[in-house]
Parts: sequence; structure tokens; C-alpha cells
Amino acid sequence: MPGAVSAPALRCNQVVKRFKNFVAVDGVDLEVRAGEIFALLGPNGAGKTTLIGCITGLSRATSGTIEVFGHDVVREFRTARRLVGLVPQEITYDPFFTPVEALMIQSGLMGVPPDRARAESLLATFSLSDHKDAYTRNLSGGMKRRLLIAKALMHAPKLLFLDEPTAGVDVELRKELWREVRRLRDAGTTIVLTTHYLEEAEELADRIGILRKGKLLVVEDRATMMARGGGAQSLEQIFVDLINAGEVTEAVR
Amino acid sequence: MSVALRSLLAKEVRRFSKVWVQTVFSPLITTSLYFLVFGVALGSRLQEIDGVPYIEFVIPGLVMLGIISNSFLNTASSLFQAKINGTIVDLLVAPIGAAEILIAYVAAAMLRASIVGSLVYLVACLFTGFRVEHPGWVLFFLFGVSATFAMLGILAALWSEKFDHLSIFPNFVLTPMTFLGGVFYSVDMLPEPWNQVSRANPVLYMVNGLRHGLLGISDVPVLHSAAFVGVLVLVLGFVTARLLHSGWKLRT
Repeated sequence: MPGAVSAPALRCNQVVKRFKNFVAVDGVDLEVRAGEIFALLGPNGAGKTTLIGCITGLSRATSGTIEVFGHDVVREFRTARRLVGLVPQEITYDPFFTPVEALMIQSGLMGVPPDRARAESLLATFSLSDHKDAYTRNLSGGMKRRLLIAKALMHAPKLLFLDEPTAGVDVELRKELWREVRRLRDAGTTIVLTTHYLEEAEELADRIGILRKGKLLVVEDRATMMARGGGAQSLEQIFVDLINAGEVTEAVR
Repeated sequence: MSVALRSLLAKEVRRFSKVWVQTVFSPLITTSLYFLVFGVALGSRLQEIDGVPYIEFVIPGLVMLGIISNSFLNTASSLFQAKINGTIVDLLVAPIGAAEILIAYVAAAMLRASIVGSLVYLVACLFTGFRVEHPGWVLFFLFGVSATFAMLGILAALWSEKFDHLSIFPNFVLTPMTFLGGVFYSVDMLPEPWNQVSRANPVLYMVNGLRHGLLGISDVPVLHSAAFVGVLVLVLGFVTARLLHSGWKLRT
């Protein structure tokens, strides 16, 4: 296999995504290490979801290259995509299928022969066993969100993107999801997380990157970033300061 | 066959099977009603066409009507709904190529069209008896036409951004083309210039190709019809595969 064993889980090299005159992602260089939880933060419209789209195949980067475990996401898209799982920001579901069917189908689409035992095990992990044969349209919002995560895990991806996985989720479920994210990381899955709940990043992330207007302002490990405020500030305050500093820098230019 | 292709095909077949009353039974009833009204009720008052009783003459056209509408609707509604409800994401992130997506969607649509077409034909046989003059041509036009309209359904779903867009095709394109394509009459019965105008309608060749296969009569040479359908399948296959590969209106 050409992808080196020591290759980073994700390498973005000068990635640009342009929509006519609007630059959504502006020359992003980023490496995510294998086995870490990386939080990608930024205000609305910063380009987080667009960047994830370029990596996972939902969008095509205008220029630059992206590799997943050493595999180019365009030239080697089959290998690269098989290594990636995506939990999209929007709750989507196919009204025709039950949760267990949805998981089996997704596994097959990702190139892994459907395994009912694994599907039922994942549904149990996400407390959906009682609803495995119900129509997905009848599940609550929180259940649908959990089903999306289970779907993304069916083919056992090595790199998992969680695009605001806890948006609109109650506190109890959020904590449950955090436990599952840590368990996945401990089992060797690399996780890239975007979130608007900064305490989520503070709680989970090994490293944090901040994106603003398509540009990556800073990438630091959590401890270094938390030390920016002399250890007395919350990540939220540090985030606001960094974003504001970015605004000032732009104004001076 | 790759796991991804097999899974997408199984998903598409399961999708229409789950709502079989709507996808199989309903078109069977609708087309059978046409047969009862135009074939059984009115047919006995109409003269033979090319030596064939009118009730038999309309069968190939009605079977083709079922094949065309069901192959088109299967791909169009499945892909368009996936775009609208966001589940297209599941397909876009999958390690599956454009050719595999095309094959899976088209094969599922061909299966649905074959089921509906066969059931319509069997219902008709209850009234007229079983008659297949050229089984090879029947299969050629069944598969060729269903593949053609399955691919047109994909193109319509890709292009459409709202339900209004998608409804243009069945209402303003498919229905007029099929009704004016010699389903209920021979184009030789039309005065000029409508006879010649009708010969520009692709559906005319499809209906007559199947009519040749089932009854051994046709308004146009069967080889012309076969060449027409063959070229359509190749051109649409190329165009649809290219558009799916480019991610047109799917990937941003």
C-alpha cells in the first residue's frame, strides 16, 4: 500500500476553495496526527464545513492537495474515502429505511460487506436497539443524530469527521457522545471535530485549530492554547481574543 | 461486482419494493385502465390495423408506456429525493465511481420497468391471449428503452433544484411524447404533415420496435428503431457518466 504507515491522518497542502468571487477556504495548510482528537473551531462562515467537504468528497478543492493517511483524496479517492467517516452537520435520513437497514446499506456503500451483528452492536452503543426496526422518520432528533454517528462508524473508519455532532443535543446525550468520542480515540480512531460549544473542544481536543474567513489562524495543542490566557481564561475568551486579533491584523493591513 | 455497487443496487431495489403499491401496483392499475377503456370498450368498434384487432394493437404501446414512465420515475425520484433530503451525502462520501452509480441506478430502474411492463402485458393477455412474434426484439426494446429513460431520469434529477423542475419532464415531455408516439394509433393514419412530424418523435420508434417484437407489425423498419435506441443508450450513457463523474449539481 503506497500510503506510508507514518503518514499523518490528514495533510492539507495549500487548499483553496473558491465559489465564484468568494474564497471559502484560503490556502489552508494542516496536518492532523494519527490517533488524536483535533478540534477545528471558527465562527459561522469560517470555512470549517467547506474544508471538511473538500476532504470527504462533498466538494472539490479549487486548488491544493489533500491526503488521508498518505492517499490523495482525488487520485486515490477509493482508498482515501474508505478510511474516512463523516457525521454531517445537518440531520439527514432516508425515510424508506429502518436504522438497522440504514447501517447495513451505509456499510456496503463504503465498500465493507454489511454485517448485521456489527450494526446491532453499534445501535446498542448509541441506545437505539429498541428502535432498530422503526422507520427512521419516527425517531426523535437526538436519536437521528446518534444514528448518523453510528452510520459513520459502520465501516470502522480510521479518520472520523464530526461536524457539530452535538448541535441541538441535550446535556446528557452530549456527555454520552463525549464518552464515545474518547473511547473511539482510545481505540485508535483519529477524530476531527467542529463545534460551536467551546467547552466541548476544551473537554475533548488534543489539539485545536482556529479558522477564520477561510484562513487557519492558529494550530496549537490544548495546553498551549489554554496557557495563552495565563491559565485563567476559558477557551471561549481565548477564542474571541484570537478572532478579534485576526480582525485587527486584517484592518492594519 | 464491487460491494459498493451491489449495495447501491440492493438499496435502490429495496426502495421501490418497500412502496410497491405506489411503484408497481399503481402503474399497473393505471395502464390496465387505459387497456380496458381503449382496448376492450372502444376497441371492438374500431377497425383492424395492419390486420391486427385494435385491442391487440394497443398492447405494445401500453406496455411501453409503463416501461417509459416507471424507468424514468425510479431514477428521477430516488436521486432527486436524496438531493433534497440530504442523504446524497451518503453516496458522495462513498468510495464508489460514477460508472458504478450509473449502473446501480439504471439496473434498479430497468428491473422496476420490466416488472411493470410484464405485469401490464400479462393483464392484457387475459383478454387477447399470449402472442410474442420476436422475443429477442421484445427483450432488446424492453432493456434498451428502460435504460434510456432511467438515464434521462438521472439527468432530470441532477438538473432539478425543486419539485416544479422535476415535474416538467413527466407532465410536459414524457406524456405528450408517449401519447403522440403511436401508442393508440398507427402514424400511417395521420395526414401530412403530422405523419412526418410524428416520425421525429423518439417514442414512436420505441413503441413500434416493441410492436414488431410482440405482433410482427410496425410503422417503421425495426432496424431503424433498434439503431435509434442503441445510439440513445450509448450517447446518454456517456453523457450521464461524465456528469456524475464531474459531480454536476451534486458536489459543490
